[in-house]
Amino acid sequence: MTLTEMLMPVAPELTLLIGVCAVFLLGVSKRPAVRSAIAPLTLVILLGSLVATAMCSDLDASGLVGLAFDELTGYVRWITLAMGVLLLLVNWRVPTDGEQGEYFGLMLCSIAGVLLTASANDLVVLFFAIELVSVPTYVMVALSRTDQRASEAALKYFFLGALSAAVMVYGFSFLYGLAGTTTMMASGGDSLQATFAEVGAINAFAVVGLLLAMAGLSFKVAVVPFHAYAPDVYEGAASPLTGLLGFLPKLAGFVALIRLLTVCHWALPDSLMWMMWIMAVATMIFGNVLALLQTNVKRILAYSSISHSGYMMIGLLVGPVLGEGPMHDGVAAVLFYIVIYGLMNLGAFAVLSGLNVRGEAAETLDDLAGLSRRAPMMAIAMAVCAFSLMGFPPTAGFLGKVYIFSSAFSLSDAHPFHGPLVTLAVIGVINSAIGAVYYLRIAGYCFLREPGDGLKRVGGVMPGLGLAVCSLAMIVLFIRPTDLVNRAKSATASVGSSVVTRVAVAGAETPPSDTRPQ
Amino acid sequence: MLTIGLMHYLVLSAAIFCCGIFVMITKRNAIGILIGVELVLNSVNVNFIAFDRYSQQPGFDGQITALFVIVLAAAEAAVAVAICMNLYKNINTIDVDRGDALHG
Repeated sequence: MTLTEMLMPVAPELTLLIGVCAVFLLGVSKRPAVRSAIAPLTLVILLGSLVATAMCSDLDASGLVGLAFDELTGYVRWITLAMGVLLLLVNWRVPTDGEQGEYFGLMLCSIAGVLLTASANDLVVLFFAIELVSVPTYVMVALSRTDQRASEAALKYFFLGALSAAVMVYGFSFLYGLAGTTTMMASGGDSLQATFAEVGAINAFAVVGLLLAMAGLSFKVAVVPFHAYAPDVYEGAASPLTGLLGFLPKLAGFVALIRLLTVCHWALPDSLMWMMWIMAVATMIFGNVLALLQTNVKRILAYSSISHSGYMMIGLLVGPVLGEGPMHDGVAAVLFYIVIYGLMNLGAFAVLSGLNVRGEAAETLDDLAGLSRRAPMMAIAMAVCAFSLMGFPPTAGFLGKVYIFSSAFSLSDAHPFHGPLVTLAVIGVINSAIGAVYYLRIAGYCFLREPGDGLKRVGGVMPGLGLAVCSLAMIVLFIRPTDLVNRAKSATASVGSSVVTRVAVAGAETPPSDTRPQ
Repeated sequence: MLTIGLMHYLVLSAAIFCCGIFVMITKRNAIGILIGVELVLNSVNVNFIAFDRYSQQPGFDGQITALFVIVLAAAEAAVAVAICMNLYKNINTIDVDRGDALHG
């Protein structure tokens, strides 16, 4: 096997990392012409990585240690790079002159980290991939604005993020102690998955390890009680960057959680299932109720991002169900929803970043008052994103919620957590209704209020283009969700089936279930 | 005669872990909090190396992981100090209680 053949499966990541070096080097140039070429170059690198993803369909990872490629990897690569292009467009004018190299280089690092998270097959690689997503975002928060709030937000984000990463890797150390190897899955030989099949997830090391690892990952996806940083960080960072903070770390966190749950055969011990159940309920309720009390739109959207993590937790708890439609598969619903969420969240923040009130970036509800008179297109885009976040047709947010909730409602009665999961979905539906209040308030300020003075449209062609794509995608994905849904569905084929393995695990310790009265 | 076994190392690492968390909660100086993070990461290293030493499997996964974690800790410290410098330029202190621009 030649070196080229060996490295071919990681061509998208390599393209990004070589691009990072180029962008960092050009960033220190003294010539303004070179520095202004950095953003277009970043776009070229992202498109190059997309081309590389399309070309490397033959994914033989035998030459690479610690990596494995399956349908989930492919799906995450496509959505991350496509969203990466939109994130770049919206962030086009964020860095001050002279900092473009650092800012866009770090953005590419973060995107490469998500791609690696999706192909990690080793606890060390998984840990490093997640850190590659997070560490650049801490620096980007500090770079995105020059005022005190940004540096405070960066410090807060860094310390809580570093702590969560340390807790997660502490959990990984117990999983290593259990299995004696850091390999997650292997067709033969030692691996975590094989160890879990042998001892089950009731071993003390397994419970402690999974508990700590999940606690660390819960921070990345902003689940209660690890959500405290989100409102402050979202408020401190520049609006376009906030769209990135709500998508890349969340996606990496959910992909890592899906991988971890696959390793333990989607058969968590009951104590951990109940813990995640309580966390999901608390996340939905906290996020929605606290969002009602805010007047700063960035903080509203931060709490809304927390509640959306709660909805996605439902799909994660339901788990993958093979062989049936997308309406039954919890993990496919999560994978679909996270794309929708990333788009509508980015759209809402892109509207905020495109507006100036008396020289300051728009932030509060009052700043948005009368937007429909001053900038009708922006107001329409904001309304589309708000309705989508609310889960109201004809927007894709509606379909996302339908898939998530129906996955829980269509669980078979034989599922050991059938009752609690249906209850969870009911709580989710009620919470969507509570959420409608503050999303409607945002839309109402845009359309029904008298405009204040000093509201001005700023930004340029590129952020406007990004915003247009985000809001159009909401409508297009509502009319034609089939392609994305089918891709999400086939991505879950590689992460196993919760029902099948649950029966297999139960069958190992009790007599075959068909002999027992149902 | 007491033999030192795996459990002793696990208790040691748990103690270091708790010390790290305690330092992070009580310190008000940003560098002090960073030291807390380093303590937590080092408890992870103790765990990995102890598990490696007492493991029945061949291979050195644990020791190699510990090396990687050390590298990561160094990289994180660099980022932390840069962010502290940034804060110092803005408010002339790295006391985290003095940062109150965000009403959280």
